[in-house]
Amino acid sequence: MVRLERVSKSFAGIRAVDDVSLHIQRSAITILTGADGAGKSTLFKMLVGLVKKDSGAILLNGKDIGGDYSLITSVCGYMPERFSLYTDLSVEENLDFFAAVQRVPARRREDLKKRLLERTGMEPFRRRRAGALSGGMKQKLALSTILLSSPELIILDEPTTGVDPLSRIEFFAIIEELKREGRTIVMSTPYLDEAEKGDNIVMVKDGRVLRQDSIARLREAFPARLFRILPRGNVFEVMRGIAADPELAGRTHMRGRHIHYLQDGPANLGLRIPHREMVEEKPTLEDMYIYYERHP
Amino acid sequence: MSGPPPAIAVRSLSKNFGRFPAVRDISFDVGREEIVGFLGPNGAGKTTTIKMITGLLKITSGTVWIDGLDSREHPAAIKRKLGYMSQKFSLYPLLTALENIEFFGGISGLAPAQVRRQAARLQEEVSPVILRQKVQDIPPGIRQKVALFVCLLPGPEIILLDEPTSGVDPEARRRFWGEIYGLKTGGKTLLVSTHNLDEAEYCDRILIIHNGVIVAEGEPGELLRIRKQATIEDLFQAAIRDHGQD
Repeated sequence: MVRLERVSKSFAGIRAVDDVSLHIQRSAITILTGADGAGKSTLFKMLVGLVKKDSGAILLNGKDIGGDYSLITSVCGYMPERFSLYTDLSVEENLDFFAAVQRVPARRREDLKKRLLERTGMEPFRRRRAGALSGGMKQKLALSTILLSSPELIILDEPTTGVDPLSRIEFFAIIEELKREGRTIVMSTPYLDEAEKGDNIVMVKDGRVLRQDSIARLREAFPARLFRILPRGNVFEVMRGIAADPELAGRTHMRGRHIHYLQDGPANLGLRIPHREMVEEKPTLEDMYIYYERHP
Repeated sequence: MSGPPPAIAVRSLSKNFGRFPAVRDISFDVGREEIVGFLGPNGAGKTTTIKMITGLLKITSGTVWIDGLDSREHPAAIKRKLGYMSQKFSLYPLLTALENIEFFGGISGLAPAQVRRQAARLQEEVSPVILRQKVQDIPPGIRQKVALFVCLLPGPEIILLDEPTSGVDPEARRRFWGEIYGLKTGGKTLLVSTHNLDEAEYCDRILIIHNGVIVAEGEPGELLRIRKQATIEDLFQAAIRDHGQD
C-alpha cells in the first residue's frame, strides 16, 4: 500500500533516518522495532508530513505523493507516541470532540461511538475523565479516536510502551481484529516479543534498517544457532567473566537467569561458559536483533 | 537470638482513596541485600504501596518498618535510609543532566565539591556532551541512568525503583539490571516494580499484586515450579486469573 524509497532525514547534522526503504503491505501488520532514538518516530512523522524528508520518495498505491501529504493523511489515522487526549474531558467527550474534528457525519457518530466503546471494553468508563484512566485504557481510547474516521491505514507510534502486559495482549488482539477487517497497520514497539507478532518486521538501528521480513523468513536467513545456557553460578557474575573474552562477549547476552549464545562459526564457544545446562533453541527476534546490531 | 530486622517489613498495609481500596491488607518483607521484583497490571497498587513505604502517601491502616523503625514514628531517620526513583523519573526536563545532579545533590545536603566528585564518576560512563543537554532532549535510557544516579547521591541503603525500565530499550534495560545487581553486591537492598516480565528473573524474589492484593510471592524459579508454569508471563497471567476466580 505504502512504499518508502531511500528516505533520509537529518537534524543538526545527525542522520536520524538514513537511506531507509520499506514496504507497508495492505491488510497486514508491519512493525518497526529498535532502540530509543533509532528513528522510528521520525519515520512515522515523515509518513504523515509532520517532518519533511530531506531526500527519497513516499509512494501510495504505486504513485509518488510528492509533497502532497494529504493523499496519505486522508486515508490514515495516526496515533503519536504521547496520546493526544484531552485529560479533562470524559471518554465520551473525547470521542465526540475527535469525531467533530474529523467531520464524522452526526448521524453516524452515536453508532460508531457505541461500537468502539464495545470493541475496546470501554463502555463502563464512558463518563470517566480521560486523565483518570489507566495507561491501558488511555491507549484504547486514543486508538478509538483515530478509528472514528474508519482509516484504511493505521499508524501507531509505540502504542504499548509503558502499558502493563495484560493490557498489551488485549490491545494487540484489537489490532489483529482490525487487520482481519482488511485495515493496514504500521506500528512501532520497543518490545521485541510484541514485534514478533507482525507480518513484516522491520529492525531499525541508528536510523538504518538492519533487516526486514516475516519472523519465519528472518529465522530461515539467520546465520547463527542459538544455545540457551543456564550458567553455573550467578548470571551477572558469569557475564562479567564473559566480558573479558572478546570472542564470546560479542556472541552472548543475558536473558533472565540464562545466557543466550549465538554460534556463527564451526566451534561452539558456549562450551567455555561454566554451565549446568545448554539447550539449542529457535532464536527469538530479540536474539536476532542483538546479533544484527553487533554484526550489521 | 533473632537476627537483624528485614530492610522493609510491611504488615497488614491498606490504602483507601475515598471508598476505593487501592491496597488491601498486604504483608511482605524485603530482606537485606535482596532484590525484590514487584509486578502487577496498571492500577494494581504497586505505586501506592511504594509511596506508602516512602512516606509520600498516608497509610490508611497497617504498618511499615524500615530497618526495624516504624515509619510513622521515625520519618526523618527513615528518609535518610531510603532512595526512591519515581515512575516518571522526577528530573527537571528543562535543566541539563548536570544541573539536575547539582540541584538534587544540593537539596540532599551534599557539599558542592562532593557533588562535583560524584558527577565526575558519571562522566566516565556517559558522554559529558549528553550530560550538558537538557534532560528532555536526552534518550530515555540515559535519562533513567541519570535518575538512578540522582537517587543514589545521598547514599541510601534501601532503594525503591518504580518502573525504572518503562519505555527503555532492551539493551539499556540489560545494562540497567547489571547496575542494579552491582548495587546489591555493594550491600544495597532493592524493591523494583516493573512491567517487563523477563526482568523478574533477575530478582531474588518477586511479588505479584492484583487489585491491591498480593497474589503470588516467592523466588521466580520456585514459583514457576510450584505453579507448573513455563514462563514468568504464564505465571503472571495464571496468578491474576486464579485470583480473579476467587
